[in-house]
Amino acid sequence: MIRLYDVQKSYRQGDHEVLACAVDRLEIADGEQVALVGRSGTGKTTLLHILAGILRPDRGDVEVVGARIDQLDESSRDRHRGRHIGMVYQTFNLLQPFTALENVLLGALFGRGTGGGARERAMQLLDQIGLGDRMHHRPSELSVGQVQRVAICRALINDPELILMDEPLGNQDRATGTQVLDLLLQIASERGKTVVMVTHDPGSAERMQRTVDLATLRAEPVNMEVGP
Amino acid sequence: MRLLSISMRNLRIRAVASGLTALAILVATGLYAAILMMAEQTDQRYEGSISGFQAVVGPKDASQLEIVLNTIFHVGDAPGLITLKTCADLRAGRVGGRRSAVRYAIPQARGDSVSSFNFPVVATIDEMFTKFERGGKLLPFAEGGPFEFSWDDLLQLGDELAAHESGKRTGAAEVPPRPMLNDKLRECVIGARVQKKLGLGLGDVVVPVHGKMGEFGYHEHPEAACRIVGIFEPTNSPIDSTIFLPLGTHLLIDGHEAGVFVVDVPAGKNPDDVARMPVNARQIGLTAIVCDPKDHFGARILRQAFGKRADAQVSWPQDVIPKFLRKMGNIADALTIVAWLVLFGAGLSIAAVIYNTMNERRREIAIMRSLGARRGQIFAIIVLEAGLLSFFGAALGVVGCHLTAFSMGGVVEDMTGVHLDWLQFAPWELWLVAGVTGIGAVAGLVPAVKGSLTQVADNIAQNY
Repeated sequence: MIRLYDVQKSYRQGDHEVLACAVDRLEIADGEQVALVGRSGTGKTTLLHILAGILRPDRGDVEVVGARIDQLDESSRDRHRGRHIGMVYQTFNLLQPFTALENVLLGALFGRGTGGGARERAMQLLDQIGLGDRMHHRPSELSVGQVQRVAICRALINDPELILMDEPLGNQDRATGTQVLDLLLQIASERGKTVVMVTHDPGSAERMQRTVDLATLRAEPVNMEVGP
Repeated sequence: MRLLSISMRNLRIRAVASGLTALAILVATGLYAAILMMAEQTDQRYEGSISGFQAVVGPKDASQLEIVLNTIFHVGDAPGLITLKTCADLRAGRVGGRRSAVRYAIPQARGDSVSSFNFPVVATIDEMFTKFERGGKLLPFAEGGPFEFSWDDLLQLGDELAAHESGKRTGAAEVPPRPMLNDKLRECVIGARVQKKLGLGLGDVVVPVHGKMGEFGYHEHPEAACRIVGIFEPTNSPIDSTIFLPLGTHLLIDGHEAGVFVVDVPAGKNPDDVARMPVNARQIGLTAIVCDPKDHFGARILRQAFGKRADAQVSWPQDVIPKFLRKMGNIADALTIVAWLVLFGAGLSIAAVIYNTMNERRREIAIMRSLGARRGQIFAIIVLEAGLLSFFGAALGVVGCHLTAFSMGGVVEDMTGVHLDWLQFAPWELWLVAGVTGIGAVAGLVPAVKGSLTQVADNIAQNY
């Protein structure tokens, strides 16, 4: 379960305080697949980072996978993120010097650890996602779609309860994007994962169980002209 | 997948910068290790080698250090000659009074060598094996035993050689025949290292050579080829690298005739006239006399007697070597400071190299943080990188030092008389590697702090 109450995050920009994200109340149930939409600058990515524990809200309560992450110190938030949250970015964010398999294992290293058959699990995931014969290739030797699939495997390696995606299909052609999203949602459904996806693509949003427009999460309108 | 493998990969990505930095550490560590190795092994060899050599009598016009280095460590050419008379006087107690001052006085002459390794040849008498003591014991034989060539044999051969030489010089109608090199004189004893290096055994033959292979004047003396009758056990001293043969052999080697007798030209005398004067056995030239004072008074007698002489002096290895080592130690200390400065510079370059990569690595670090990496883990990865870089440099530096000792050992031995044992590893080498690794890790602290402070949200979305 994800619960946010009266959350606000702002940045200093010169002499000005700029409100980047404001949410009065948001609840997402376990296993739910939610698309976060909204025009640019409404704070979608900021909200995603707050859910991941990368950013700490200035105020408000944030409960993610059973932890009040707004109350955790940075190290505990990092640990919580590593173990319970898988992240997929628009920019893939694979480390170039490492092979596909190693990139997936990096997720395990900083998550639940590389012991207990993590390597076999990573190979199994890559195999399952159709990259069994490419696992020892580096990202530069893979196609865009293959890279994105590696990123999905990395997000799943720790068997996280929550998967956060930031425009995961933004860099792909529609056919590949749809294919990858189908695969991810299928895996998430099979394993009962909660999925929160930031997207600008109405087609992708429609594939999720629920769509939340960030502009509707705030009762009083606020000035959000400038985002982070 | 471990933090260590991430650090290793990061080093590999920046192979050129990593390699150059490691090279700087390698040079500094290698230099430092070489200084310590030389100092340590020189101390060990020199202090261990002077045992047994209580006093060495040599020519007056050389320094005491030269006499000791040449006689015991075979460094450089013989600095001059003294006469057999000096040795005879010592043995007969005619130096400094009626009482014999020494337990033994063993004549030595050197100048030739054996093989491309330039193992020095020391010509002497059999008392080197029956009287000379090292650490309170006679030189231990691993195989065989000594050759037979006594003091009396030397005097007899000297008389025969002098009669022949005198006949030639004075133009006598009938010149007595020159003594011949017989089988008894064609025997030798070799040190353990000579045996090991040349793969020799009892009964094998070694041929003395004059000069260094490839140099002007180099020639072999096949007429003096000697059969090995004894092989010493290792003594960890220059004796291991020495071939001992009878002094008589040295006197009878072809080409040595001119230098066998020491003939002074008195002031006012025509050198040509002097060259036509007869010679005697007591004028036979030696490079050194190894002797052992009987007691405290014997030592004092030697000091007083040789202090007044113009042709010879006594040198005390136990006094000379420690002074020499102290001077060497000062030089080593200066070089050590240089090595530390180079090491310090290398440490700074590690910090600079890694620090400079921090900007381009912000996204990489942010990605790892987004995967759950704690600041401490990022910090550890960077410190490990610096430590690994230093470790590789230091380890290779120590290995390089040993390989240099292996390849340059001959040159060092020629120059200093110290045989560097390149396989001799000392505990301090481990400490050195650990210390340099630690210095490197410390150098990595600043970039590690910078790296660990990387903001995830600011850097994760960058699309380079």
